[in-house]
Amino acid sequence: MRVRRPTVIVLSALLAATLGTVTAPTAAAGQPGSATTAAEPNEVTNLTVTQADGYATLAWTPVEGATDYQIERTPVDANDVPTGPSVVVGVWRPNRQINNESPTFADAGFNPGDRFQWRVRARFGTVEQPYSAPVTGTTRQPWGDPAVPGQNLRTRWETTRAVQYTSDVDEYAYTAEIDRLSDRVRVVEIGRTVLGRPINMFVFGYPTPPATPEAVAATSPVAINCNVHGNEPGDREACLIMARQLAFSTDPRIIDILSHTTVLIVPTVNGDGRAANTRGNSTGQDLNRDYSLIRQPETAAFVRMVRDYRPIASYDGHEYGNSRAGDLPMLPPRHQNVAQSVFDQSQDMIEGYMYARAAEDGWWPCPYGCEGGGNVGLGEETILRNTLGLKNVVNSLLELRSSGGQTRPDESNTANNRRRKTYSALWTFHHLLDYHRARYDEIRRARAEAITFQASNSGRIVFRGSRPIPAHPAPHPADAVPPLDAPRPEMILDDAPCAYRLTPEQYLGARTDGPGGVGASLAERIAAHGWKVVKAADGYYVPLAQPERGLIPLLLDAQGAEEWVGGERVYPTLTGRHNGPLTVSGFTCIADGTINGPVTVRPGATLIAYRTTVNGPVTATGAAGVVLGDSTVRGPLQVANGAGPLSLVGNTVSGPVNLVGNTGTDAPLVAGNTVHGPLHCTGNRVTPTAIEVPNAVTGPRAGQCAAL
Amino acid sequence: MFAPSPASADPAAPPGRRTRPAPTPPHPRRVRRPGRLGLLAATLVLAGVAAGCTGDGSADPHEPGRTGGPAAAATGGVSGPLCAALPAGTDPGNPDSLVDEPADQAMRWIPVLTTFEAAVRAAGLSAQLRDPRGVTVLAPTDDAFARKFSASNLDELMIHDRDTLRTLLRAHLVAGSHSLADLLAAGTVTTMDGTRLTVTPTESMARLGDTATTICADYRVAGGRIHLIDAVLGTLPTTAGLDDDPAH
Ligand SMILES: [Zn+2]
Repeated sequence: MRVRRPTVIVLSALLAATLGTVTAPTAAAGQPGSATTAAEPNEVTNLTVTQADGYATLAWTPVEGATDYQIERTPVDANDVPTGPSVVVGVWRPNRQINNESPTFADAGFNPGDRFQWRVRARFGTVEQPYSAPVTGTTRQPWGDPAVPGQNLRTRWETTRAVQYTSDVDEYAYTAEIDRLSDRVRVVEIGRTVLGRPINMFVFGYPTPPATPEAVAATSPVAINCNVHGNEPGDREACLIMARQLAFSTDPRIIDILSHTTVLIVPTVNGDGRAANTRGNSTGQDLNRDYSLIRQPETAAFVRMVRDYRPIASYDGHEYGNSRAGDLPMLPPRHQNVAQSVFDQSQDMIEGYMYARAAEDGWWPCPYGCEGGGNVGLGEETILRNTLGLKNVVNSLLELRSSGGQTRPDESNTANNRRRKTYSALWTFHHLLDYHRARYDEIRRARAEAITFQASNSGRIVFRGSRPIPAHPAPHPADAVPPLDAPRPEMILDDAPCAYRLTPEQYLGARTDGPGGVGASLAERIAAHGWKVVKAADGYYVPLAQPERGLIPLLLDAQGAEEWVGGERVYPTLTGRHNGPLTVSGFTCIADGTINGPVTVRPGATLIAYRTTVNGPVTATGAAGVVLGDSTVRGPLQVANGAGPLSLVGNTVSGPVNLVGNTGTDAPLVAGNTVHGPLHCTGNRVTPTAIEVPNAVTGPRAGQCAAL
Repeated sequence: MFAPSPASADPAAPPGRRTRPAPTPPHPRRVRRPGRLGLLAATLVLAGVAAGCTGDGSADPHEPGRTGGPAAAATGGVSGPLCAALPAGTDPGNPDSLVDEPADQAMRWIPVLTTFEAAVRAAGLSAQLRDPRGVTVLAPTDDAFARKFSASNLDELMIHDRDTLRTLLRAHLVAGSHSLADLLAAGTVTTMDGTRLTVTPTESMARLGDTATTICADYRVAGGRIHLIDAVLGTLPTTAGLDDDPAH
């Protein structure tokens, strides 16, 4: 069915004839020479066009010696007669994709549903080679059958052909309709903006989403944050379309995804900024410089959501002005306190998965900050990408290149530009779901490894600074890598403390760093992050040997780049060997210790231990707090009637573990432990949780820990 | 202005009003849906499907799509090099569909005016654009704003320095309804900030002072005209490029 392009063009007649043969192979029989005639020298051959939601993937056989390719698109009517001029809409360059032997280009920007003819030609330098034979096709209509309730919903952006964005009121109405018509979704208000706008989150599952945040967390969900900068609305429109697809699609792929996990979509965390078309929220605060500090209600709402729903993989949507960058700049959490396993898995998601799939579908991802992108994509823990990494979430930034740039020359038309951005985001978010589905166990393992690593309180603390992003092996999707951003010496603390001690004033006192000069107390913010805090006679201790160890010092140490307070560094009180019984009264912190004898924690006392071995039982009764990380107990472990936090992460216990009658208000954390013996929990005020980091228990699990 | 929402706070709440974060409920809370909103949603849905991609998909009584029709397929009376990149023919937001819209509403349908349109709202000047005596808007495009102000400077103007913003916007408003031909014939124009600009012809467009040129002129709107221009007028210093693309 290969048709050679005639050299003399009488446009309409030619197109009608040619297109007839291309789209209806039987017609080619009427032109015997065509199918077998060799292409002209250097002509692109084997062009195929595959339709998808909002884009069409062009693929062809490369021409030896080509330096780039031009993609031409012509609108045609139902009879394939041109209805408008032919325009070069795309330029393929070798740095678009990691496998140059199979070039692809995702053409986008057109109005979905319109019909086109495409041709591709190679260029040698600036010398244009012959165009390929044309291929025609009708692009996909906006997703959803107009005759099926729910599927027939459309966003404002869709009905106005991308002339208007979907407003806040439009969003609430659309969201409410999806919620009303689909059993697969529950819309949850996770908070309010400064001006009181609801911050909604879609919770998707099949046949219905799990009923509570804890039940959602048990499915290790995947999350998308669609719009933090109010003047970058492209990703949000993709999220709204995707919400309709997840709610109403009968595609087995969608059903399969939603049957195995929960999808969380926050369309508009910055509703005030979106309505005002400002980057910041209504106070002018850039919310993507606030996810650690959570001075603003919007970021606090998001962080509480992460605490309660515990997503394991995520993307954060933006738009970006560098016209030389790829279609889809991406970047993993680079902060050096992010566990290696989470960094590696995030890089696998981006370079291992997105780069490969993008090469099939014709999109151009690249590292954010590539192509002379400036001093961007660094290690600020205030940025969601890094905050989530420090919360052990595999994740990436997503940028949509604002302008068409040099490779998409037809985007001076605003609607074309907006559609390319939104449909490229839609592609990315769907592939996030596919990655999460395909690598679910791997992501969970990376997260578990990260959590147990953090709870061991091992290694130096970097207050600010990034891991390098090495260049992808050639051919690579960028000519330059993001800035190095190594930590400066004053941003490194080699000797990590055991805990930070806060005074009651520091912990409970009013703050002035929120909207209108009023800020939530550290007690509230620490609770929002979900950290364990021990209330002792001489203040509030925040131990580092817990899952967000990488984040805690950044906010509580005076050496931090953007800290809340300068808490007192509390160093271990005991290291090395201790022979004989150890009775803990007051505050005891053991690091790298070996205790040859029983350990008894007295009422009101605090025990923190990491990388420590106890050759004997550990018994705590009425303790103010017990925190054990990466330790070994050769004997029974019993914690009873404690009033404060209890955290057991990454330990090995040879003997029974009993957690009984503890009255602390946050869930005892029992995660990633190996117990040679029974695990029994009963009468605790809050049911213990493993936060999806399984324990290995040889004996029976009973009572409140039966599922851990 | 903040329109009603399913669970919105006082719509008249002044910007910057302190609202403490609502405590997280122990269980997910469903979005409240007062009946009125449910109706709006239903209307939106039905209209959207009935109209397909023609964009007549809103309960908005000022729906410009309704005025579009076969007769709207002409150029709509606009002229200039940028017009070809903007909604035309029967597209939502085509020039003919805007003739009954007040200027502040019409701007919502001109997709390169998102910055200017938001700035008018932020500055509280929407009513001024409905002046019964007519108004002419010299509207800089989003690209023009991006060439003039850094992102942080623009946020500062939009959020914290609205007096300055109002003065800046007045430099783009002219009392009365003036076509491009009117402006060229007069040779000068005085904007509402009191600035007098020369108007000189250039390639069938108008050069305003030595700063800006019309690039899609003569959007006819209710009681006025909108001329898109390629640069920001007024006296504020240029800050673009100082922190030109803030990181994300
Ligand atoms: Zn951004």
